[in-house]
Amino acid sequence: MKIKIGILLAVLLGSVLVVLAFGQYEMQVVENYYFPNPQRPPAVFEHDRHNETAELWDCMICHHVYDEQGVQSDWESSEDQACADCHGLEDQGGMPGLRKAFHQSCKGCHLTERKGPVTCAECHVKP
Amino acid sequence: MHALYEWVAGPLTWVAFAVFVIGLVFRLVQVLVMVRKTEPFIFTYMSWKFSLRSIGRWLVPFATLRWRTSPVMTVATFAFHLCLLVTPVFVLSHIVLWDEAWGVQWWALPDAVADVMTVVVIAGCLFFAGRRIVRREVRFLTDASDYFLLALTAAPFVTGFLAYHQVTQGAGMTIAHMISGQVLLAAIPFTRLRHMLLGWLTRAYMGSEFGGVRRARDY
Repeated sequence: MKIKIGILLAVLLGSVLVVLAFGQYEMQVVENYYFPNPQRPPAVFEHDRHNETAELWDCMICHHVYDEQGVQSDWESSEDQACADCHGLEDQGGMPGLRKAFHQSCKGCHLTERKGPVTCAECHVKP
Repeated sequence: MHALYEWVAGPLTWVAFAVFVIGLVFRLVQVLVMVRKTEPFIFTYMSWKFSLRSIGRWLVPFATLRWRTSPVMTVATFAFHLCLLVTPVFVLSHIVLWDEAWGVQWWALPDAVADVMTVVVIAGCLFFAGRRIVRREVRFLTDASDYFLLALTAAPFVTGFLAYHQVTQGAGMTIAHMISGQVLLAAIPFTRLRHMLLGWLTRAYMGSEFGGVRRARDY
């Protein structure tokens, strides 16, 4: 009996952890708390749904790593880092500031691929 | 939609700005050549001092007799023209685009302030249209082109307001906003909107004639 309760508790705890972990991973918007006085709502971005729809499996397209010469690594990616760990609020040499980096990544790709939103209101949707 | 957006945000913007700048330079040269041909004596009494005195006076609300006798018009026209010129240059979304295109940026208005200024421009256009209907002496001088120019001026602000408030979905309203802005810019040299440049010359002329010839004030 005690073993059954123990297993049940373990399963429950496991489920809660899985829900918590995946719940956190399911990104819905690009958080904008890095910006001191954001003027628009955060851009809508459902990470998993976006990548499935776009059939985007190469993480390094967004989670890139550049060396000091400005050359992108073809083996190293940066999923374990926040964008703001590298990108400051302002441009630094060849590295665009955070806002520009977001805009260039999202809008730039959407224009190249001829898919996805490109105007302000399409991403910064009012709640 | 993406191709249309790229075309409107790219080549069409360049065309609009080129027509705007080259058109105004052309207008300026045209006026100066015309004056030299028909009334060259004007240049003998054009004066920097009286020109700038007149322009300076007329730039200050209620500093001239005319501004004081029409206080409502004075408030309306100053608020309208200030918001009309300042909003497009200092609205955040335009600054973001210039920064991404050319890497230049400057101070931006908070969106809430730009929103109010946009409403002031639209209200100004409605006020001027209403004035043309209500005031007999203005109605006498009004034809359809006056309403057309007011609509042309209001259009980028109306579409910008609707796009910002997300009244419609998709890119359509923003593209309409860009096109209406480009049409307005390109129309300035070829319509009475050219007072944007030539109004200063008129004022300079009036100031010079009143100051240098009539020995009077034009304010």
